Amino acid sequence: MNYLDLSIKEINKLLKENKIKPIDLVNEAFKKIEDNKDLNCFITLNKEGAIKKALELENKEVDNILFGIPIAIKDNIVTKDLLTTCGSKMLSNFNPIYNAHVVDLINEKNMIIIGKCNMDEFAMGSSNRTSFYGNVLNPCDKTLIPGGSSGGSAACVSAGLVPLSLGSDTGGSIRQPSSFCGVVGLKPTYGRISRFGLVAFSSSLDQIGPIARNVYENALLLNILCSKDERDLTNVETEKEDFTSLIGKDVKGLKVAIPKFYVSDLIDKEILDNFYKVVSILKQEGVEVEEVDMKYLDNAVCLYQVIALGEASTNLARFDGIKYGYSYDDAKNIEELYKKTRSEGFGAEVKRRMMIGSYLLSGPNAKIYYNKALKIRKCMSLEFSKVFEDYDLIIGPTTTSFPCKLDKLIDDANKSFMDDILTIPVNMAGLPGLSLPIYKGKNNLPIGMQIIGNRFDEKRVYQLASFIEKKINLRGENNE
Amino acid sequence: MNRLSKEEVLHVANLARLELTEEEIDTYAIKLKEILDEVDKIKDIEVLSDEVMISPNDNICVLSDDKEKEMLTKEEILKNAPKKYADYIEVRGVFE
Amino acid sequence: MNKEYTPTIGIEVHVEVLSNTKIFSHSINGYSDSVNTNVNIIDLGYPGVLPRVNKEVVHKALKAALALNCSINKKMHFDRKCYYYPDLPKGYQITQNETPIGFNGRLKIDDDRYIDIEEMHIEEDTCKSIHVNGKTLLNYNRSGVPLIEIVSKPVIKSSDEAVKYLESLRELLLYLEVSDCKIEEGSMRADVNVSVSKTEVLGTKCEVKNIGSISNVKTAIEEEIHRQINILEQGGKIVPETRRFDSKTNTTVSMRKKEVGNDYRYIPDADIPYVILDDSYIESVKKSLVMLPNERRKIYKENEISDVNIDKLINNKPLSDFLDKFIDKNINLKIASNILLGDISSYLNKTGQKITNTYLENKFIDIVNSLNEGKMSSKNFKEIINDCLEKEDTLENILKENNISLVSNEDDLLIIINKVLEENKNSVNDYKNGKDNAFKYLMGMVMKETKGSANPVVVNNLLKDLLSKDVN
Repeated sequence: MNYLDLSIKEINKLLKENKIKPIDLVNEAFKKIEDNKDLNCFITLNKEGAIKKALELENKEVDNILFGIPIAIKDNIVTKDLLTTCGSKMLSNFNPIYNAHVVDLINEKNMIIIGKCNMDEFAMGSSNRTSFYGNVLNPCDKTLIPGGSSGGSAACVSAGLVPLSLGSDTGGSIRQPSSFCGVVGLKPTYGRISRFGLVAFSSSLDQIGPIARNVYENALLLNILCSKDERDLTNVETEKEDFTSLIGKDVKGLKVAIPKFYVSDLIDKEILDNFYKVVSILKQEGVEVEEVDMKYLDNAVCLYQVIALGEASTNLARFDGIKYGYSYDDAKNIEELYKKTRSEGFGAEVKRRMMIGSYLLSGPNAKIYYNKALKIRKCMSLEFSKVFEDYDLIIGPTTTSFPCKLDKLIDDANKSFMDDILTIPVNMAGLPGLSLPIYKGKNNLPIGMQIIGNRFDEKRVYQLASFIEKKINLRGENNE
Repeated sequence: MNRLSKEEVLHVANLARLELTEEEIDTYAIKLKEILDEVDKIKDIEVLSDEVMISPNDNICVLSDDKEKEMLTKEEILKNAPKKYADYIEVRGVFE
Repeated sequence: MNKEYTPTIGIEVHVEVLSNTKIFSHSINGYSDSVNTNVNIIDLGYPGVLPRVNKEVVHKALKAALALNCSINKKMHFDRKCYYYPDLPKGYQITQNETPIGFNGRLKIDDDRYIDIEEMHIEEDTCKSIHVNGKTLLNYNRSGVPLIEIVSKPVIKSSDEAVKYLESLRELLLYLEVSDCKIEEGSMRADVNVSVSKTEVLGTKCEVKNIGSISNVKTAIEEEIHRQINILEQGGKIVPETRRFDSKTNTTVSMRKKEVGNDYRYIPDADIPYVILDDSYIESVKKSLVMLPNERRKIYKENEISDVNIDKLINNKPLSDFLDKFIDKNINLKIASNILLGDISSYLNKTGQKITNTYLENKFIDIVNSLNEGKMSSKNFKEIINDCLEKEDTLENILKENNISLVSNEDDLLIIINKVLEENKNSVNDYKNGKDNAFKYLMGMVMKETKGSANPVVVNNLLKDLLSKDVN
């Protein structure tokens, strides 16, 4: 019984024909999770809830393609009555009384939530090693990091434990682990998906997104995640569209830009070579590919330090041991309650980022740096817009290097953000970006390429991604 | 000197309400300065206009009607509170 | 007070905005309701929740800003103000730092005196903490209650002027129905910044918070000026700090030192997109503004309403609103204000009625004109007031039903008047000797003789006529 290795379309067919039941999928998922326990993809399993839901569904009509499909959810997305820890000791006992908007949507479509995925604490990290609940192993090589912060979400799909998962992406947290684990991960346009119920890291950068085994299934999940939510003022109302509609369509004549910054000598040579292999295929197929200059891109890390960590220092101020979450027991006064609760409840990386964020906003710094960062951000965004006047898409590698060993020392602040230099600009400008596995590199490790679209142009991102997927014979499938 | 003073580090730690060991204070005195020097570069970057970008969206705020919607029960309010007393959430530790 | 020192005072006023729901959530705006009943996940600062913005609060804030003659930030955003306090659930307060809805305004507090307004912004209230038996308990009903903060420039010169400013502001906000401004209940709060100096350069200021009434504001300012001058006179230095007013001892007490300054780390709140106030919206709000107390005062004064009555009217907005409907109806506003504040007020007080729920409006012009022309005496009006307010009928019919008609026949009245003059020769003589009171007395005697049924205007004319003939 390896139904979960089938495509979602095939599973849907079997469900419709009553050859299998949702409970079969649920049991299989939990069996696989048990067999791969060492991967440590999950913080909390929703065993009881999933089985209950699966049995309920037996009396319901299979009315949509995601009906009965198991899904895993990153643990910073709030689930009612299901522990939501954000990978932190701070929320180890947090049982929410509400659902994130996306969770409501998933429930409406009768998908089955299997569990909550391990992640870097409060989404702060690129290795999944900052989780209070331990490392996640990379299914492609268990001695390596899976990437982060959506490490659990990428790894569980990569290992075939579930076909779909949700991650969140602030500076690359969906795309980088997707690249490291060889799966398809999309960070949608900022405002595309409601952030209501996504525990905020950086409010102007965060976005929830789908992770899947292939491009088509990724688009299927995005289809159900976009529905206007009045509770998120930054959620943009768009016409209902089918994100799979351009999948399988010819790409001839598409104009694609490669920013020179994305192919600089900061990038691992093997990654670049493989990326260029794809570029030459595209050229053969009639896609116009050109290099472009973008002068603001290399400020991304600085902007990230100021904006993301600045916003984070305010977003995480609410964890004070009073209303919910971890609380230091023996506080003699309010200041001690705050300091002990936060020092014991947060891990080292979160504390480090709180310190940096608070420092960069303190005294005159906010006026000097934050304001300037927002101006440069505007320039960076305008620069992207300018490129999109002449090109349909922007491409480049997703990461500068291969995943490191699990036991490699965590690098210092600046260096660790350097890994994200190719993904952060996409968040700064609020664009959709997808990481697609291309060829395998040394030791058979996956290499990811990034496809960046204009705002709200996910369809075209999927179009090119699915084309490449098919061309280089990954496990892709067509819309038909 | 290429590091923050102990007082400056403690001020930041206080803003973030974090407790630091002596060793951490020492590390941050150097680290924070390094980061500031790094970030300081953006002061000199030329910008095209004074326009700021607070959010990638340029949509305007849709104001909502002044209508009541579902509120929480007292049980729900107190459910996750570490400490409670009667219908109140209680603050741990004596406070002023 | 030492004459050499000039005090300078700036005032920050917070008022709670009247609305059904809170500023950033859909919970009921009712903080005095049963503990922790008007609360949702936004008010509690739960992780992952996001704010919304209440249209009504923006509308009311705009009204206030326009009434305070402020310039308007047509594209405004909200900011996060970061500090830790148990009553602040998110660890930051959503407020407006960079783009307050209004700025550079002014408020008239006297004929030739305006107080400049620095800025006015929208923000959220904190939750309420109470301290019982060494416990600190939190009630989130107030968390997210809409506030507007109005910051004056440091231009107020005395405690009296401060009181005038607060009273004028309170009156204005009441008239706009922006807030109920109940200082004692905390829906209006004032923090004052006080400094003293002998020179043009402002002295070091101290902030006094938690002042629970307007009269305490006066005392607090005077005490603070006194305290600061004493320190300076003894060669000391003023330490910038936040102080609190202790109403038991009538002194200000130090709260916390501002050694390092408050490090609030303001940043724009990316959860809330720009709020755009377009010209047509601003224009429509401007047009919808009710007549403000100062304009009303001016009109009342021009219509010779007494100062006492002007104050009474302004303090009774429903009556003043009622009177305003007749301002351009060419009636005697003095008489109108007299009966509104007299018989009509006592009727309303007695019955607990609202003036708008009575039938007064359709016959008010007739009533005032009849009184003015002497077709009805004030005694008559007293008799029929219940009917006037309770019946839809016309004044004419009501007078008929009550058999009230004033004797205006001159022949009939002359007989009575001559009789009165005959019987009161002393008074006639007094009048001739220039004692005006005697005329009033004679007038009263005629009315007494007719049991109040004579048309006083006619009597007045006839009496004057007769007496002047006599003089000649």
